[in-house]
Order: sequence, then structure tokens, then C-alpha cells
Amino acid sequence: MNVPTGLIQQEGSAFGFGELEEAIVLQGLNIRNDEAKAPLFGTGRPAATLEMFPSWPMRFKQTPRGSSKSGGGSTDSGSAVNTISSKTENQLEPESPISTKNTAPLDHQQEMMASDVSRTGQEKRRGSTSEKQLDAKTLRRLAQNREAARKSRLRKKAYVQQLESSRIKLSQIEQDLQRSRSQGFFLGGCAGALGNISSGAAIFDMAYSRWLEDDQRHMSELRTGLNAHLSDSDLRIIVDTYISHYDEIFRLKVVAAKADAFHLITGMWTTPAERCFLWMGGFRPSELIKMLISQLDPLTEQQVMGIYSLQHSSQQAEEALTQGLEQLQQSLTDTIAGGPIIDGMQQMAVAIGKLANLEGFVRQADNLRQQTLHQLSRILTVRQAARCFLMIGEYYGRLRALSSLWTSRPRESMMSDEHSCQTTTDLQMVQPSQNHFSEF
Amino acid sequence: MHYQVDSWGYYMPARSMGSDPMERVAKLASESAVVIFSLSSCCMCHAVKRLFCGLGVNPTVYELDQDPRGKDMETALMRLLGNSQAVPVVFIGGKLIGAMDRVMASHINGTLVPLLKEAGALWL
Repeated sequence: MNVPTGLIQQEGSAFGFGELEEAIVLQGLNIRNDEAKAPLFGTGRPAATLEMFPSWPMRFKQTPRGSSKSGGGSTDSGSAVNTISSKTENQLEPESPISTKNTAPLDHQQEMMASDVSRTGQEKRRGSTSEKQLDAKTLRRLAQNREAARKSRLRKKAYVQQLESSRIKLSQIEQDLQRSRSQGFFLGGCAGALGNISSGAAIFDMAYSRWLEDDQRHMSELRTGLNAHLSDSDLRIIVDTYISHYDEIFRLKVVAAKADAFHLITGMWTTPAERCFLWMGGFRPSELIKMLISQLDPLTEQQVMGIYSLQHSSQQAEEALTQGLEQLQQSLTDTIAGGPIIDGMQQMAVAIGKLANLEGFVRQADNLRQQTLHQLSRILTVRQAARCFLMIGEYYGRLRALSSLWTSRPRESMMSDEHSCQTTTDLQMVQPSQNHFSEF
Repeated sequence: MHYQVDSWGYYMPARSMGSDPMERVAKLASESAVVIFSLSSCCMCHAVKRLFCGLGVNPTVYELDQDPRGKDMETALMRLLGNSQAVPVVFIGGKLIGAMDRVMASHINGTLVPLLKEAGALWL
């Protein structure tokens, strides 16, 4: 049985039964016409579907494209139907007693194949001799099958294309989310949908993410500077640049504190792990020094004293600010809690006035942080300072990475896949955190 | 910590009641080793008081909301600091140290304690 090559070459893997059925039916009719013998399939006109699995073995025959007479040499026998979908130019040739006896049908078929370039036009011509033998019903059915197969192919193609573009989009979104998560905030659009981020906060978050990128750059400069064994004066330039880089974030935080002190003090601009250690809108200076002390060896005696003195002063300042903030809390509680509400609006106005002091505390805390970093660089040598700042950067980098890992950890309770897990978890984290300000 | 209530104007009418508030500030500042101008309702003032107490210092505190001429002194301090917030402001040994940020910076860079010792507010 020969399947018209045009069919195979055009569609490749998208071979549908529509064509096969048609080809088989037409082929059967051709042979019948040429043979004028007893029907091949014994029962007279065969049911179209049964012809898909012919009773005799099929043979492969190589036919160059467009050649009309390729002779008889068949190569090897092969299985029938499932090889039709290959993209090669193999044809199926039945090794039937009938076809070996008759070369005429072979030639006739090859002529058909050679001339069969386009399906639509040629099909009608090919089947012209046998068309009269087919009744209208069969013709209609064949045409419908063709159409259905074509539509099915188009649908499949469209679906696959859609899947591909969705896949690309998904990976882009994942990248964005990963970047955002590692920097610990939600970009304006996403958070805007949740309706819980002010413009001042959004502006700061964007500036902070840029600052983090700069931080990476500065840190690699420090690293290369240390490894390159630069002179002290050269290294000093790099260290001073890094200190200025920190001064910049403190400047940005001053503006942010004025716009939205809650955003800073609740730590919504940082990652969850950093938030865990948050003190008054940022890191606790004495904790940072404690972390550094063991890694800063070797230190001179004077340096050791200087560092411990710094840690002590920082603790005293932190304590003073904390007590000031506690008094603010108490005052606020007194304003809004208990007792008869004589004038609700007045009470609220007073409370708002007191809340405004929050900005001052965040500013003083940032000031403390800035002063601590400056003092560190004064106590340490240039090389020690370079290593120290590198340590600080790496420490917070690891804390941020920890947050990323934490948020993307798999949850057994979730039925859906991991990606939707992450989104849900992030939403969960945002909601409870908004209540943090009530604990300040 | 001890709080000073000004009653001189009452007993010494000859002394000008309309004396320059800034002069008054300077005068009060020079009378004690550590002087803090404050408002009783101000939480940051509370913080700075806690800081000095924590250092073992006994500062002299003037609550300007409890002083009849407090308002004028507040204005004068605002001008002095170039700031919308007059208080808290700290003087040590009669010399202006500044508002909270200067006090903290001074403590962190290690200059505050020597100043306190110099003014006699701290021993050891």
C-alpha cells in the first residue's frame, strides 16, 4: 500500500487518521480497479477503519522525491501503520501476492505519487477514476475527516504556542519575584494590589534595591582590593567609598522616615530573617559589633579596648532610645485606651501627634548606626576595615539568602505546586507583619 | 536629676523680667555641669535623660512647659539649633553640645565621657 508522499512530507508528525483512512480507502479502490479480481479483503467493500491494519506485512521502499519509476527493489520488511508518521520519504509497499504479479498498479501508483505535490488539488485528480465508485456519503465523510484533522492540527499548534509563551512568561515572573524576594520587598505593583504600601515606602524600596545592587559592586571591589594587596592609601579610597555608600542609605532612610516611619520600623523594607533581628527600623549596632569582634583578629590591645568601648557606648545609646520609645508607647496607650471618650476626634488628633515622634526615633537609631560604622573605621586599620565591611556585607547577604530559602521551602500542607505556595506564603507574611507597629 | 523652678523674677523685681531668653538659657546652662532643656511630654527628652542617668550623671533638667518664660526660651533654642525642634538640648560645662543626634555621636566617638569628666559630672 502506498501512502501518497505528499501527505507524509507535509505534515510530518501531525499525521492524522483522516488522511490515513482516506489513503487506505483510495488505495484499496485503486487496486480493485486495476485488478478486477476478487476483492482483497474478502468481504466486498471493506470498512474503512479495518483497513488500517492490513492482514499482510508491509514493506519499506525507498523512493526519491519526485521520481516516477524507482524499480522494484524493496529493502526490508517493516511494520505497517506506526511507521507512517516518520518524516522520511519511505513508502509502504505491501508485499502482497497481488502487487508482485502486477507491475502496472505500481507504476500507476508511482505516477500518482510523483505528481502529487499539493494535497487538495491532486486528491481530486488522483481519485478521479475511482471517484465515481465512491458514493457521496463516503466522500463527504472523508472531506469532513480531513477538515477535522486539519482543525485539530491547528488547535494543537496554537495550544503549544500558547504553552511556550506562558512558560517563558512564567520564568520571567519567577526571576522577578526571586530578585524581589532576595531584596526583601514587593515591587509597587504587587503590593499596590494589596493596598498596603505608601508611595514614600515604594520609593524607598526601589532606592534600597538599587543600593543593594551597588553594595554587591562595592563588596567585590573590596574583595579584589584585598586580594590584590593594594597599598594602604589605595585601599583607603575603596574603604572610604564604601563608607559613603553606607552614608547614602542613611540619607535615604531620613527621607523615608519622614514619609512613612512605619514602613521602616516594621521592617517591611527588609527580608524576614533581617526583620527577626530588627531594632528600631534597622540593625542593632551592638549586635553587629558582637558579630564582628571574634572575626576581627588580630587586634592590638588599644583596638580591643576601642571596640569594646564602642560596643558599650552603643548599648547605652540603644537602651536610652528604647526607653524613649517605650515612653512614647505608654503615652499613646494612655491617649487611646480606657476611660470615657469625651472627644474621639480630639483623642485621635493627639494620638496622631504623638505617633509623629516615631520618625525622630527611627532617625536617631539610624544616626546611631551610622556613627557606629564610622567609629569602627577609625579604630581599625585600613586592611582591617576593608575586611570588616566585607564581613558585614556578607553577613547581611547570607541573612537575605536565608530569607529566600525560607520563603521557598516546600510545604506539605499545600496541595498545589511550589510556585503558588510561594505566593501564598508571601501574602501570609505580609498580612501579619502589618500588625507589628502595634508592638513598637 | 534635679528640676529647677525659676522664682528669681518674683523675689528680685529689679532684675529685668524681659531679659533676653537666650541670655537666660546661657545663664542657666552655665550654672550646672550638665544642663538639659526639655519638655515633660517629649519622649526624646526622656531618652536623653535616660542616657545620662545610665552614664551615672546627675543632669539639671529644665522643663520649659513648666516655666513661665519657657515659650520664649524654646523659640530662642530653635534659633540656636537652626531646627524646628528646640528640645532636647544639652549643655555640658556651660558649652552647647547639641540635640540628641550630636549627643549620641559624641558618645559613640568617645568624646562625651571625657567632656563629662572635665565638667566634673563624672568621676572614675
